[in-house]
Amino acid sequence: MERRIKEAIRYLGYGRNAADDRTLALIEDAFAELERTAAPKSVCRIFDMAQTEDGRIIIGNMEIRSTSLERNLKGCKKAVLFGATLGAGVDMLIRRASLTDMAKAVILQSCAAAFLEEYCDEEQLKIGRELEVQKLYLRPRFSPGYGDFDIRYQEPLMRILDCAKTIGLTMTDGCVMTPTKSVTALIGASPVKERCPIQGCEACGKRDCEYRR
Amino acid sequence: MLRDRLGKELLYFDGGMGTQLQERGLAPGELPETWNVEHPEVIRETHRRYIEAGSDIVLTNTFGANALKFHDERCPLEEIIRTAVGHVKAAVRESGADRRIYTALDVGPTGKLLKPMGDLDFETAYEAFREVMVIGEQAGADLIHIETMSDTYELKAAVLAAKENTSLPVFATAIFDERRKLLTGADVPSVVALLEGLRVDALGINCGMGPEQMFPVLEEMLRYSSLPVIVKPNAGLPQQREGRTYYDVAPEKFAYLMKQITEMGASVIGGCCGTAPEHIRAMRDACKGLRPLPVTEKEYTVVSSYGKSVFLGNRPEQNSGSRIIGERINPTGKKRFKQALKEHDLDYILREAITQQDNGAHILDVNVGLPDIDEPALMEEAVQEIQSVVNLPLQIDTVDTEAMERALRIYNGKAMVNSVSGKQESMDRVFPLIRKYGGVVIGLTLDEEGIPADADGRVRIAEKIIGEAKKYGIGKKDIVIDALAMTISSEPEGATVTLETLRRLRDEVKVNTVLGVSNISFGLPSRPVINSAFYTMAMMNGLSAGIINPSSEDMMKAWYAYHALMNLDSNCERYIGRYSSAPAGTAEASSSGPGTAGAQGMGLGAAIEKGLKEDAHTITVQLTEEKAPLDIINEDLIPALNRVGDGFEKGTVFLPQLLMSAEAAKSAFAVLKEKMDKSGEIQEKIGTVVIATVKGDIHDIGKNIVKVLLENYSFDVIDLGKDVPPEKIVDTVLEKQAPLAGLSALMTTTVVSMEETIRQLREKAPGCRVMVGGAVLNQEYADMIGADFYGKDAMQSVHYARKVFGIGE
Repeated sequence: MERRIKEAIRYLGYGRNAADDRTLALIEDAFAELERTAAPKSVCRIFDMAQTEDGRIIIGNMEIRSTSLERNLKGCKKAVLFGATLGAGVDMLIRRASLTDMAKAVILQSCAAAFLEEYCDEEQLKIGRELEVQKLYLRPRFSPGYGDFDIRYQEPLMRILDCAKTIGLTMTDGCVMTPTKSVTALIGASPVKERCPIQGCEACGKRDCEYRR
Repeated sequence: MLRDRLGKELLYFDGGMGTQLQERGLAPGELPETWNVEHPEVIRETHRRYIEAGSDIVLTNTFGANALKFHDERCPLEEIIRTAVGHVKAAVRESGADRRIYTALDVGPTGKLLKPMGDLDFETAYEAFREVMVIGEQAGADLIHIETMSDTYELKAAVLAAKENTSLPVFATAIFDERRKLLTGADVPSVVALLEGLRVDALGINCGMGPEQMFPVLEEMLRYSSLPVIVKPNAGLPQQREGRTYYDVAPEKFAYLMKQITEMGASVIGGCCGTAPEHIRAMRDACKGLRPLPVTEKEYTVVSSYGKSVFLGNRPEQNSGSRIIGERINPTGKKRFKQALKEHDLDYILREAITQQDNGAHILDVNVGLPDIDEPALMEEAVQEIQSVVNLPLQIDTVDTEAMERALRIYNGKAMVNSVSGKQESMDRVFPLIRKYGGVVIGLTLDEEGIPADADGRVRIAEKIIGEAKKYGIGKKDIVIDALAMTISSEPEGATVTLETLRRLRDEVKVNTVLGVSNISFGLPSRPVINSAFYTMAMMNGLSAGIINPSSEDMMKAWYAYHALMNLDSNCERYIGRYSSAPAGTAEASSSGPGTAGAQGMGLGAAIEKGLKEDAHTITVQLTEEKAPLDIINEDLIPALNRVGDGFEKGTVFLPQLLMSAEAAKSAFAVLKEKMDKSGEIQEKIGTVVIATVKGDIHDIGKNIVKVLLENYSFDVIDLGKDVPPEKIVDTVLEKQAPLAGLSALMTTTVVSMEETIRQLREKAPGCRVMVGGAVLNQEYADMIGADFYGKDAMQSVHYARKVFGIGE
């Protein structure tokens, strides 16, 4: 089974259970509809980074304090600021479904999340290939809101990337990204090659999460 | 005067300011506008270098200077703007230029997304732009240049702010991508239609791409624009090196391409990101002696939404055929629709909109007029809400001038307006609105004397309407004439007169036409028989757009057949797509599976458990023959829902199945409700629950799941939507005397508003219980913010709600 279908099933709360055929068919329809509707876009900028002894992370002129991010970026020389979105059309698609068929709405919601992750993985691999020329290897991406990496870092991150202009990604006063199917993240680049850089929720400390892989 | 020179001689903008400042040390993420105050000499010098390089129009360093984007305690916004204008003026003096240099107030986007996709109100955006523009004009700017807009709605707010609060010329340019679309999806004709409708002085493209990549966008823009076109490309596509962004098109190459752009038809040219004074100088040298091509009036009739343009009549590459205007959003003669309006049930209206789009409508008529309702407020709300789920252009249908104006103002795009008539009073009222907001208006062929009985009279009124519109600068392309269909049951010549009128309007007056088709059969039996035949005849006689019911299969058959027969459907593709496999009338795949089982003896309970929507409907219809609705609810429906709910909690049924069952139960309830309404029986609701996604948060899927389930369990659910301020929740709870409120929030940053909402509820509505849910919440967090109950999932909210209302579990 395709990875993104597996992921969508997980987001739908199936845990280790198999999805029934009808749900599976709806998932496939949802991906087909997303292929038509989504207008994925991404932007990135690469900065030198440093970690100070007192636990600050300095990337460009941004200064971050976060133990979880510090762990994620340990040993990195550069950091990639990354933003991606599926565009406002997907939000509208989900909203339409919410009015006519909630089952379809939750399936679209989960599939859009899986679609977005897949897109981010692909973009990250592209960035990774470019950096490999400089003998730098990417870590898993780390988003504001993970662990103790404060969600409010989204603001400077989006400002530096000029996300509104470059990919049409903005946020509300409450730090909620609009369009909703969007990601911002930091990706460390270190001279040491480690295992697969595309790693998801296994790295998270929240072990009792019901969506854990 | 700038307006006199525009389009007649080539005018040159300057190049990028931001990238120039980056070279001088502006850090990533730093606000460039602060440099007006902190490094005035750098700003002036940059302007001066552009003037010396040959720029006629110089942009102030105010791209991000608006109250929504610019936050810096050290520099008040007003000072930033005033000094910015002053820097250009000073640079002009210092340069000693002997030609007229214009100071353009640069206005960029707010960096926020407008509602309904984001949280920014249209009027808040308008206010932010107004503030900047008023200061800019006072400070001495010669024109307003709105640029780098990626959302037509924000573009409209900015242009309106400029037009309503200043007397300066307005230039507006947008940022397109390689798909020739804005980030929010708008195509080139819809941007042109919007800006022309708002009567800017020049429009165009900037940023996003290099000159070469702009060719296709420019070509399309020149095809549709009747205004001078501005082109300001980047110096190529952005590249990265050592953490820095740079652009790689050198001045000579840039100049060479800009010369081609001018030869294609651009009238005002300059550069955006990555272009330096050297680029402008080389461009000016390359274009020396060139004059812009004349700007010609284009005759296309275009209406648009934020993401889509719809042409009426002919366009260059194809004949559009006849357009379908969906007529269903209108209370006339519809009991259920009237009830929805009275109950403020917007979801009902939205579903009508979605159904019509799914069935093939190109434009949707919106009429919400009823005695005793606040039509202007409801019209404004309906237009906004419909635009959040349907990307079709709308036709604003009202006789209330205030409703028309408010809808036109808030509408995202260039609307169709229904209608104006040949009565002087009507034209005096409606044309000023079209002049101000843009729009394509339907002209009814009736006047003070009534409806002429013959085609001569109707054609004369059409000509009168077109003549009067011209006085307002509204061209024939923005008028669509309604030839009026009179029922043949009382007017034997009704159809023939209408058809002759259509034909003459097409051939003699050369104007687009529209008809409310089904009036023709009023008072006759089997109306679809007459309607569909008349529809075909009307299209044959030139009908540009028919106002019909897209859910009527007879009408749609007529439409598909006409287009296939008249070679307006290439290779009969649309016809085949619709009729080859599916039996006529089958809409797109529904999630409810095959609808055949009903006849095979499946019970209602089983249909609900399996989540079969159509079967649940059919079986319920059969069941009502032998069983009372209340018995069906208590003996079949609720037990089935309970079984599914139990399964969900045990982990044997999952969310999609739970919701499929909920939807199936909903369709069964709909049958029962209709039955009970007819017999006057009332199904008691358990009580009122107010639900909302809290302020600052726009994730509402969880809240919507809870809504569907609560409704199935007979609660009266008042859904306030998303991003709801605490005050509104409190007011609604008080007004409805709701014993229970349900709040949803997804993130730590928005749980703050949840806490505030609970605080206000405790203060003003102490009797109301509060249940909360959402991704970041848990029991501990819920306790901390003072909620009465934390619902881990939607079923738990149902259990709690039942408990609050004293129903045994």
